[in-house]
Amino acid sequence: MTATDIGDRVAGRAAARRRPFWTIPRRDALVGYLLVSPQLAGSVLFVLLPFGLVVWYSLQEWNVLAGTFEFVGGRNYEKLLADPNMGAVLTSTALFSAGLVVLNLALALTLAILLNQKLAGTTFFRTLFFSPVLVSLVAWTIVWQFLLQGEGGVNGLLAVAGVDGPNWLRGEGTALLSVVVVQVIKNVGLNMVLFLAALQGVPRQLYEAAHLDGAGAWTRFRRVTVPLISPTILLTSIITVVGSLQVFAQIAVLTQGGPGMSTTVLVYYLYQQAFQFRHFGYGATLSVLLFLIVAVLTLVQWRMRRKWVFHES
Amino acid sequence: MKTKLAALTLSALLTVTACGGGGGDAPAAQGPQPLRMTIWTSNEAHLKLFKEIADDYRKTRPETGEITFDPLPFENYTTTLTTQIAGGNPPDLAWILENSAPDFVGSGALVPLKSKIQNPGELVPAATKLWEKDGELFAYPFSTSPFGVFVNTDLVKAAGQKTPQELIKAGQWDWEHANEINKAVAAKGKHGLTIWDFDYKGWDNLATIWRGWGATAYSEDGTTCRFNSPEMVEAMTFLHTMIFKDKAMPAPGTVADFFAGDAAMVVAQISRAAMLEDGEFGWDLVPLPAGPKGEYAVIGQAGIGVLKKSPNAEAAADFLAFFTDEANSAKLAAYFPPARDSLLTAETMAKTSPLLKPEQLQEVVIDGIETGVVKPSHTGQAELAQTVRASLDALWVADADVKTVLDGVCAKIQPMLGA
Amino acid sequence: MSRRVKLALYGALCALCVPFVFPTWWMVTSSVKPISDIFSFPPSLLPGRWDFASYGRVFELQPFAQQYWNSLYIAAVVTVGTMAVAAMAGYAFARIRFPGQNALFVVVLVGLLIPSEVTIVPLFQMFHTAGLTDTHWPLILVPILGAPSVLATFIMRQFFIALPGELEEAARVDGLGRFGTFARVALPLSRPALGAVAIFTFLHSWNLYLEPIVYLSTPANFTLPQALTQFVDAYGGPMWNVQLAAASMTALPVLVVFVLAQRQFIEGLAHTGLKG
Repeated sequence: MTATDIGDRVAGRAAARRRPFWTIPRRDALVGYLLVSPQLAGSVLFVLLPFGLVVWYSLQEWNVLAGTFEFVGGRNYEKLLADPNMGAVLTSTALFSAGLVVLNLALALTLAILLNQKLAGTTFFRTLFFSPVLVSLVAWTIVWQFLLQGEGGVNGLLAVAGVDGPNWLRGEGTALLSVVVVQVIKNVGLNMVLFLAALQGVPRQLYEAAHLDGAGAWTRFRRVTVPLISPTILLTSIITVVGSLQVFAQIAVLTQGGPGMSTTVLVYYLYQQAFQFRHFGYGATLSVLLFLIVAVLTLVQWRMRRKWVFHES
Repeated sequence: MKTKLAALTLSALLTVTACGGGGGDAPAAQGPQPLRMTIWTSNEAHLKLFKEIADDYRKTRPETGEITFDPLPFENYTTTLTTQIAGGNPPDLAWILENSAPDFVGSGALVPLKSKIQNPGELVPAATKLWEKDGELFAYPFSTSPFGVFVNTDLVKAAGQKTPQELIKAGQWDWEHANEINKAVAAKGKHGLTIWDFDYKGWDNLATIWRGWGATAYSEDGTTCRFNSPEMVEAMTFLHTMIFKDKAMPAPGTVADFFAGDAAMVVAQISRAAMLEDGEFGWDLVPLPAGPKGEYAVIGQAGIGVLKKSPNAEAAADFLAFFTDEANSAKLAAYFPPARDSLLTAETMAKTSPLLKPEQLQEVVIDGIETGVVKPSHTGQAELAQTVRASLDALWVADADVKTVLDGVCAKIQPMLGA
Repeated sequence: MSRRVKLALYGALCALCVPFVFPTWWMVTSSVKPISDIFSFPPSLLPGRWDFASYGRVFELQPFAQQYWNSLYIAAVVTVGTMAVAAMAGYAFARIRFPGQNALFVVVLVGLLIPSEVTIVPLFQMFHTAGLTDTHWPLILVPILGAPSVLATFIMRQFFIALPGELEEAARVDGLGRFGTFARVALPLSRPALGAVAIFTFLHSWNLYLEPIVYLSTPANFTLPQALTQFVDAYGGPMWNVQLAAASMTALPVLVVFVLAQRQFIEGLAHTGLKG
């Protein structure tokens, strides 16, 4: 018996005598506050407060080595607007995130559909496709660094097929593509599993009914599958978009932002400015920019859910 | 758990009120004070030696607490160190790489050492220059390691070439001849010349080549970009031809490990000799080949500084003096070439570097330390390095126009040097 | 399904799985190759000579068993803690009406939008002031309560929203309070979503890289991803085979556990989980 149970009964008896303060909605609200309190306290302490400090730092010129900390108002934001690298950085970020999200979701859904067929051995393949998720990110990236060398494993495999592979990490286009693909292969298994679970929840009868109505495979996919798994699509796309803007260790190991600035995405540029170049104030300013971008993108997706997500309409 | 949370909440508030930036003064020391030194080696032999020296020190100084050596990954060393300082947790002593020396020395983050360390007068000027400001010394140059060329003599002979040693005797050890050897070895299916830690990113290591042409990255006073000087263009053209036309150097994206026997030569610091201890091939160590401007030497450096922010700066400086006195410098010389004149003799060094022959020690190490130029460094080097790296990427393709690319480098970095 | 379609499907699956399997295969086989063979071109699929010495070196160079334990117990504590925090918050946000609910949910969601690189410096300052650097507390507390758990809360909320309300109403009619309804009715039903949260959370903690590097300084306190970068020789040159051996050891046990448990995990998800 929980404390709330006792509370319920005591309150119940009291209700007979006078108008109770602890009405059911009030008790519910109390439980609600109690249940969210750990998460809320954590958010305030570990998210909002540190982020508030970051915003504060963005108004400072902070020389870590000299130990000076000087209020400069909007000067870091002026620097942001005038930064000659910003164009290249935002382009890389946009290309990287768009490529990653599209490739990840498309591949995840394709794999999920393939594995959702009545076929012997799907469990085996499912394990294979999921396995990179379990390999530690650092190990995964170190291995790919080898494989993508000019004379590495990837080109070795291509050579077997008679293809002369490029020098993946040294070309501006191929480097970006490589990091995207390495990241997609690493993580697509998670989305695949989520899609698979959603697909298995679609009642067979619906397909059969659609089939009887004369709908082709594509129409069935568009009209039955997509609407029914739309909540999962929303969840995966939010996770993937947010995640794509936070890819850091892979770039640090594979390309360090190069060649040129072709793989210097915003979060990596932020890291460079703050930690490598020790412009902590400017790094904080870039953090604020990154936050705004992520927030806007997420908000847009969340708003759009009413339009196309089945259960939320 | 609850007390931890309470402590955290409290500290969060403290952080806010202190504005996080400067951080307050440390509380007064009481009882034995521990010392912490950040380092980038996690090699057991190194750590064992440091521990021994620290234990010796503590025998006579009961007021000193435990001395810890904190290995940070080399890749992110300066970054991690800076983060610790920013977070209000500076080490008492820190190793400092040559590329961040101007930042640390210039910012006033370090304690002046001249009056603290033993016999500073005998430190070789070429080794202390980087760590000095206004006549004061801000870090002890504990490792001053010249670059030399390690040669896989088996590969060279197999390619039917004269060994560098023979060329030296004939007075022909220059880059043109070295290139011929590398070309021949590469034509046989192995690789020619490699440059340690370069990998088409760590361009400061190319100083080991361009110095032979008299080129520098920046002007002496650091205000002008010299990447598009005629000497630099000539040196980089030589390098470009070597890579893409002669194939005497592995192209970008190719791993060639000299120490695994894959390449004819590697330009590296002499301390790498340890990696050849149980080498499976014949090898030699020779000075850098002469360039068009004659013979030259380049050194890489590391210093140990005491951080002003350390609550135990006084004790830390005292320990540093002990750590680097003549007796302990001699011990450290087993791994880190010393900058003390008295230790720079082939005899003393032979005791601690059994892998190298006396003439190698004399020619490469001792002459190198005394005449060497330190790898390029500048205030804000990390940002400059990154910017140069990004611009130089255009050079590492077969059809690059050297002059155009180098002009591009200067166009990018000149505004950063002006200040 | 016709035989031809089946063959085509198998062909597609086999071709697609090459990039998923090859890196792990290469990592494990290279770890037992002599160092000079690692770089051979074209790469060999099997080591010519098996050399397990690098596995011994892993334990000589680092307190690897201790580091393994650190990663394991931190991930376990974080997983259990996150499941509790996220289930409670997710349930409250989905099922209970209380004033300010939406505003509070937005406050929590902000955590989803802030990359950890952004807040690492202020967080480090806080933990340092509390005297908790070089301990595992930051690696436990921040993921359970801070930004990383927000995704878990979000998943739990979405799950509870989709849960049919009738069961809960029956429980309430039987006299169970709000908390009782949550603990005895809704929570047991949420096992599949909790399973997804557990996997996400465990992997997140297991892969954490930046935070350990910033917070921890003593090798005995290190976690695995951080330890992997420490297998370098005296001069910062990586010891490839030792590094690959260590990497293999971090990956293989998790793979085995997944293979054994995946039926429960995925099929649990499929039954009632995040389905459409």
